[in-house]
Amino acid sequence: MFEKVLVANRGEIAVRVIRALREMGIASVAVYSEADRDSLHVMLADEAICIGPAASSDSYLNMEAVISAAVASKAQAIHPGYGFLSENEKFASLCETCGIKFIGPSSQVIARMGNKSEAKNTMIKAGVPVVPGSREPIYSPKEAKRIAKKTGYPVMIKAALGGGGKGMRVAESEDRLEEMFLAAQFETRKAFGDDTMYIERYVKDPRHIEVQILADSHGNVIHLGERDCSIQRRHQKVLEESPCENISPALRSKLGRTAVKAAKAVGYENAGTIEFLLEPNGKFYFMEMNTRVQVEHPVTELVSGVDIIKEQIRIAAGEKLSFTQKDIRLSGHAIECRINAESPERGFMPSPGTITNLHFPGGNGIRIDTHVYQGYKLPPYYDSMIAKLIAYGKDRDEAVRKLRSALGETIIDGIDTNIDFAYELIKSPAFEKGHIDTGFIEKHFPKYLKK
Amino acid sequence: MFKEFISQKKMETASRIPDFTRIKTGVNEKKARGRKKAQRAPEVPEDVYRKCSFCGKPILNRDVRDNLYRCPKCGGYFRVHARRRVELIADKGSFEEFDRDMPIVNPLDFPGYEDKLKLMQEKTGLSEAVITGRCTIGGEAAVLCVMDNRFIMSSMGQVVGEKLTRAIERSDEERLPLIIYCASGGARMQEGIVSLMQMTKTSQAIKRHRDKGLLYISVLTNPTMGGVTASFAMLGDVILAEPKALIGFAGPRVIEQTIGEKLPEGFQHSEFLLDHGFVDIIAGREEQKELIAELIRAHDMEKGRKSFKAFLKDNGAMGPRTFLGEGDGQRDDTLTEAEEASERRELSKLKEDGSSEGDLHQSGGRSGLSAWDRVKLSRAKDRPRAMDYVDRLFDGFIELHGDRRFGDDPAIAGGVALFHGLPVTVIAQQKGKDTKDNLRHNFGMPKPEGYRKALRLMKEAEAFGRPVICFVDTPGAYPGISSEERGQGEAIAECIAEMACLKVPAASVIISEGGSGGALAMASANEIYMLENATYSILSPEGFASILYKDPGKAREASEIMRITAEDLKKLGIIDAIIPEPEGLCEENLNVPVAAMEERLMDFISRSMDKSGDEIERERFERFRSF
Repeated sequence: MFEKVLVANRGEIAVRVIRALREMGIASVAVYSEADRDSLHVMLADEAICIGPAASSDSYLNMEAVISAAVASKAQAIHPGYGFLSENEKFASLCETCGIKFIGPSSQVIARMGNKSEAKNTMIKAGVPVVPGSREPIYSPKEAKRIAKKTGYPVMIKAALGGGGKGMRVAESEDRLEEMFLAAQFETRKAFGDDTMYIERYVKDPRHIEVQILADSHGNVIHLGERDCSIQRRHQKVLEESPCENISPALRSKLGRTAVKAAKAVGYENAGTIEFLLEPNGKFYFMEMNTRVQVEHPVTELVSGVDIIKEQIRIAAGEKLSFTQKDIRLSGHAIECRINAESPERGFMPSPGTITNLHFPGGNGIRIDTHVYQGYKLPPYYDSMIAKLIAYGKDRDEAVRKLRSALGETIIDGIDTNIDFAYELIKSPAFEKGHIDTGFIEKHFPKYLKK
Repeated sequence: MFKEFISQKKMETASRIPDFTRIKTGVNEKKARGRKKAQRAPEVPEDVYRKCSFCGKPILNRDVRDNLYRCPKCGGYFRVHARRRVELIADKGSFEEFDRDMPIVNPLDFPGYEDKLKLMQEKTGLSEAVITGRCTIGGEAAVLCVMDNRFIMSSMGQVVGEKLTRAIERSDEERLPLIIYCASGGARMQEGIVSLMQMTKTSQAIKRHRDKGLLYISVLTNPTMGGVTASFAMLGDVILAEPKALIGFAGPRVIEQTIGEKLPEGFQHSEFLLDHGFVDIIAGREEQKELIAELIRAHDMEKGRKSFKAFLKDNGAMGPRTFLGEGDGQRDDTLTEAEEASERRELSKLKEDGSSEGDLHQSGGRSGLSAWDRVKLSRAKDRPRAMDYVDRLFDGFIELHGDRRFGDDPAIAGGVALFHGLPVTVIAQQKGKDTKDNLRHNFGMPKPEGYRKALRLMKEAEAFGRPVICFVDTPGAYPGISSEERGQGEAIAECIAEMACLKVPAASVIISEGGSGGALAMASANEIYMLENATYSILSPEGFASILYKDPGKAREASEIMRITAEDLKKLGIIDAIIPEPEGLCEENLNVPVAAMEERLMDFISRSMDKSGDEIERERFERFRSF
């Protein structure tokens, strides 16, 4: 086992990792930017090293500084957390060459999963379903029709250079395809001077489902069930829960088995997440693999009883998983709500400042992961997430009630937060019934998507 | 390593939160647990990082390789091994090396020189400081020479001179374009006067190459100094330079010691040379290959003629279409509009032929515009500028800079481009679109270096057999002290005389203002076209009025009798055709005059294509002889 580990991150995840290290009797080294001198992770760690100015590019993303800090403090491993350098293939490989264990998969795996088309091809080879579509560029409605016959309708027509909805069309059936294809192609030619198109099956009202896996360096791979992260605002997750509501046990176990198959196919090691798009009819498709710990890992920890961070460290130290798939018993229901320092009234603009009054709830089934404290001055340079409020109950209904109650108790003064927004989502009948998909906010709360 | 990037901070406990000391993992606790011996301490291996010699930051060697041997942090250009350079420029596997193992020489029997050479050979893996060979670049065949300054600063000894000269001669025999990546400290001291002779040897070979009408592109890299700068490096038809490369004859240290002054920042850098007119283009490593391939294409007349003829054959009957519209149905309308306009033009011409002189002086014509109206229109701020036409008429315009004498004048832009596949030289007087832009272009008033650049580009066009197309838009040549000091009159005179005697077809389009001699220097062409609302005159109506009436306020009156409009000038035979304008000419309806220009130019070039150089020159001579 390691004697000393450097945590190359900040905020709540740095605090989370430092706590796990302490529980394991491993010394921790925090790194911080000049703007984070008074941050909780700096105070909690056994050692702290300043690695540069406030801008992330000069500090938390500065590979040389992080490596130097590890060398200077003689840390044997680096936990990258999420974001920053966590999925940086170059950083992982640099750690490898410097004799520092990167707590995560190998740099090759990060590189392979970081390349969207390579990741997809790997999955296709492994027999994992991906959204059917053309992998070759197409230029004419005739080719489009040929592909659409294979993928099935509705299909999404996408411009190779598209963006911001430009050059994108959905064709519900074959008789609309030509018209939609030409319209999208015309648009992209005008906007980008290029008429290269792709076609793929349009996944309607999908849910964003992800499966947590753990893989050790001895070839053992298990999964810890799925999470439903469908509730997103502009591709930012707001609420996450486990297990996913309204899916059959058969589908659940198929998702898990597929995720394990996918992880084995890439020779994965450490904790990772396989994201799927789930159609209402139960069909699902591989989206991407996240080669790091996720923000929403606590919901899985609560329902599975596994400490994912500790497992990451054990796996990195070369230990075998101490349990098999059979040992994993998922029970109860957990929901996480991300609390961000942002102002829903002003288009969710970040709201940095000093926290003048702070009260977090506690009690049975409530977990708070945070790095803020009363009097903490929130720097404006980084992610606006300040806390994760996780509720655990025997079933979804209980978890929802606990979360609602806990949100109601939470007091954060001095800055704007999204607490009221989250409260509004949770008490909506649609959420209560678990009728959720990635269009949830658009359907039920369109006012929050206006610019 | 990198200690300077971090600062270890002793734990400071903020007063407002509790002290966490008691929960911290102590060293004793760890020992008590009886862990096995500490694992290998992490360290950064030596070959992973290097320090950037420009910004001083640590950089990953791997990133440097992936970034074309530039610093990933500051963008500084590192030296490139000649073989890597060949890989960057030549198409994969296409390079066939010449004279790979030419034996080393020691002409002065310089003591220890052979040993030094052998040591350098071992260190660099090269037999001498230059690699020469044949390859394709973006599919275009060429002879490529690359100098490597890790080999005794790539100084030019006999072997370097010989390898280069042989490569130049090979390119003559095989009629291939020649590309030399220059890098050198200058002469090879150990070879003394024999080294000096290489300057003439290589230069005369370049001269012969040039006389055969073959292209030579010289690429100046850091550093290119001394005898190499003063020979083949500066003789390129096109001279490219890498950013911030040191280029000069005397080294900066020698200059500082001689004049006893500190040299300014950026002195002798590529950008300095560009400003002073000695470099055509500063090209980053990422664009060099494609740029060189495009330049080769823009100099390949044989292929160009074929594709132009093929285009004429396919599209001749249909007239100009390719540059019209955005493919959104406007094209047919605009063509009709253009046709209508030219029809109306024909009609009004017929009318004019029968009309009285008095009417002509009013020169209102069909649109009822007075000459003064047209003066104002031609000077309008939002009137399209030369580059608007160039962008629409030609493909792949590559701007070439500098007069190779003194500077680069932004009032004139020139370069090579393709007109339906045919290489042409385009030279355009440039005005700006706003005040800032206008200040940069000096309000379209060229200085002597502008005319000398135009002249240089015309002579280049002649050497390669390319037609010359000029766009005229100037209130006049810049009247200033510096202009006179550098010989504005001489510059214009040379430009007129040489243009008039070019052995390649030349056409000029007066797009807005054609101000006096400053315009004529770029309008001594075989054919001259003029936009409907452009003017072309001996001087501005204001100037005319102040000389003749001693009152510049009478400019309006003057304009009406000066005969400066397209219609008047067509009657006088000064111009050959009027390009019709839609009402309120702007970028949106620019395709109307562009279509007409395209038609004129296609017609002109196809008529001139099969004429001999002498014939073209004679026709032009007679055109101006008749005035």
